[in-house]
Amino acid sequence: MEFQDYYKTLGVDKTASAEEIKKAYRKLARKYHPDVSKEVDAEKKMQAVNEANTVLSDPEKRAAYDQVGQGYQSGQDFRAPPNWDGGFEFSGGNFNDTSDFFSNLFGQAGKRSHGRRQYQERGEDKHAKIIIDLLDTYQGATRNITLRAPEFDATGHTVTKERTISVQIPKGVKAGQHIRLNGQGSPGFGGGAAGDLYLEVQFREDARFRVEERDVYQTVPVTPWEAALGGSIEVSTPSGAVQVKVPANSQTGRKLRLKGRGIPGATAGDLYLLLEVVLPPADSDAAREIYETMARELAFNPRTGA
Amino acid sequence: MSITAVIIDDDLLTLADLAHSCDVSPEWIVARLEAGLLNLTITDAQQARYTSAELTRARRLCNIERDFDANPELAALVVDMMEEIERLRCPIRSLDKHVVDV
Repeated sequence: MEFQDYYKTLGVDKTASAEEIKKAYRKLARKYHPDVSKEVDAEKKMQAVNEANTVLSDPEKRAAYDQVGQGYQSGQDFRAPPNWDGGFEFSGGNFNDTSDFFSNLFGQAGKRSHGRRQYQERGEDKHAKIIIDLLDTYQGATRNITLRAPEFDATGHTVTKERTISVQIPKGVKAGQHIRLNGQGSPGFGGGAAGDLYLEVQFREDARFRVEERDVYQTVPVTPWEAALGGSIEVSTPSGAVQVKVPANSQTGRKLRLKGRGIPGATAGDLYLLLEVVLPPADSDAAREIYETMARELAFNPRTGA
Repeated sequence: MSITAVIIDDDLLTLADLAHSCDVSPEWIVARLEAGLLNLTITDAQQARYTSAELTRARRLCNIERDFDANPELAALVVDMMEEIERLRCPIRSLDKHVVDV
């Protein structure tokens, strides 16, 4: 287990006052706030900052941490001495998204303190994001998710255990919605029920599709003759291949709506096909001749509207 | 064995669920509902049921208040701006010259 230098995480001195710690925390919270930050790994960094603040902003935890961490450097292999927390009383451990180091030090103490009070409480809900493909919401999908949770080992120490669960993503879920997995959050205390796991759904970026609520937009390349003359073309859509009738005299940007072929649901969204006319390259004598004939025969100038 | 997930909007949250999920008391939620900070008009918070969007907003409010010791109104203003940015970042609907149903 690696020693975590919480002072270094917050960028403050070991002698920092409570006010300095608060100030440093707020500055970093603004920098790494997952809802607004553009930093890489903002969520992970925010967790580290939250954990450091949880310890350093609590006088009891800070004093215990200072005592046990004497002489340790960040990242150094760490093992807490027996009864290191004698004389300290913690108000309980928040097990959500904390490092092994934190769980080992404060998780254990928190649990013991709960036990003494014959306390029963439902476990905390956990929150995470899950990224799925757009096609997954059309068909439903199964995804494996790895969860980390603290548990007691045979010696009574807290260890972080990983477990992988297989989750069935329901058909028709849209970006920004939460899905809930009952009882998959943190374990309860004193026989209390486990919390739930909430997953916020996001779609993986896909250059082929754009999604607005339940409506899906898909760009479809067409030849100039398909656009000009109209006709039936086959399009591969998220719900499968469909034959689509292109109206004659279509231009780039024309939208064709396929009702009910957006994201499924009680009220399914629509699928919009955006036509994009693609010109064949004039890279052969035959192709050049066709363009020259068009130039001669068609009195067409898009800049004059003729 | 796989676990079936439930879409929140198909099985809406109770006040207790919403509060537990944000790690706050139901009173915390009710106070913000009454102050109009959750952008909801409801008459009975206990009987009302809450959506994914309301869970997202409540969690953001809670995080901003906690992380910055912000007062609830200021946190709500920040969340309003976050939501506005999200709306603006959504791809702009191309001007509909002509939509053809096929």
